[in-house]
Amino acid sequence: MDSISPGQVKAEIKKFWDAFTGKSARAFQDMYSPTATVFSADGRRSEPGRLMLVRREREFFGPQSSVGSRVGEIVVQVLTPNLAVAAYPFHFFVVRSMPNGRRVQVDVPFGRATQVFQRDESGACRIIHEHLSSAEPVSPKEMPQESATTSVR
Amino acid sequence: MERISPEKVRAAVNRFWLILSGKSQDKLESLYSPDAIVFTGKAKRPESALLAIARRSRRAPIEGSSTSAELGALEVQISGDVAIASYTYQYQEDRTTDSGERSQRNTLHGRATQIFQADSRGGIRIVHEHLSAAVPPDEARTNARSST
Repeated sequence: MDSISPGQVKAEIKKFWDAFTGKSARAFQDMYSPTATVFSADGRRSEPGRLMLVRREREFFGPQSSVGSRVGEIVVQVLTPNLAVAAYPFHFFVVRSMPNGRRVQVDVPFGRATQVFQRDESGACRIIHEHLSSAEPVSPKEMPQESATTSVR
Repeated sequence: MERISPEKVRAAVNRFWLILSGKSQDKLESLYSPDAIVFTGKAKRPESALLAIARRSRRAPIEGSSTSAELGALEVQISGDVAIASYTYQYQEDRTTDSGERSQRNTLHGRATQIFQADSRGGIRIVHEHLSAAVPPDEARTNARSST
């Protein structure tokens, strides 16, 4: 099998953000290895990918939530035939449903992503580690319950 | 012998923080692959590690500075000759510049991803790094010459 290519990694990143902004929980889950570890943008420590998936599904994929994103230039480092690292900036906009029922609007204009992709035996590329952060402090704003939303695409 | 192991990664991570906090005379460059890519501090996009190292060197601790780093539990994922290290850290820096300005910076909720790859000489090098803070660092500046 050929080595994983930068084009393949960029296509996976497009799939990732399409699944995220389209609130496609199944497609989003499929992006991650079962043993993935993740630093979420506001997480104080890394967590297993499966825990992050439960939380993101609850907070981002509900009917009261919306997610928008714009991805900047992607740098891909192919480290082995089956492993590559992607680094890129992104603009992220989300209306998030919190466990207490409140809705919070978060605008992250200077998001930064590191995602490590590994190709498995079936040829599928999955994220085995992710580190998301913001270059600038982010201030969530609480929203009125019935407020309309728009998203950045 | 294993080309890369959790022990080698742990030693390299410790060496990185000893250098960064001025407690080792080794050079940061020696830890990185020439092609390494990093996200550091407030940088808005990934950049060459060489650029970031040059910037860090200009901020290297000087006489009268005090720095300390404390690392959380280190998690290492190994795949072939690549290892992904992820951990939290706290970093305190208290500096006095030549102009007499004193600055303090406390990163209480630092997060680090450092990806290492074995090189041809049996060593391991950082090929990718992402340092960030879950909460913005506490920063303070005072003029040391006017303080009592």
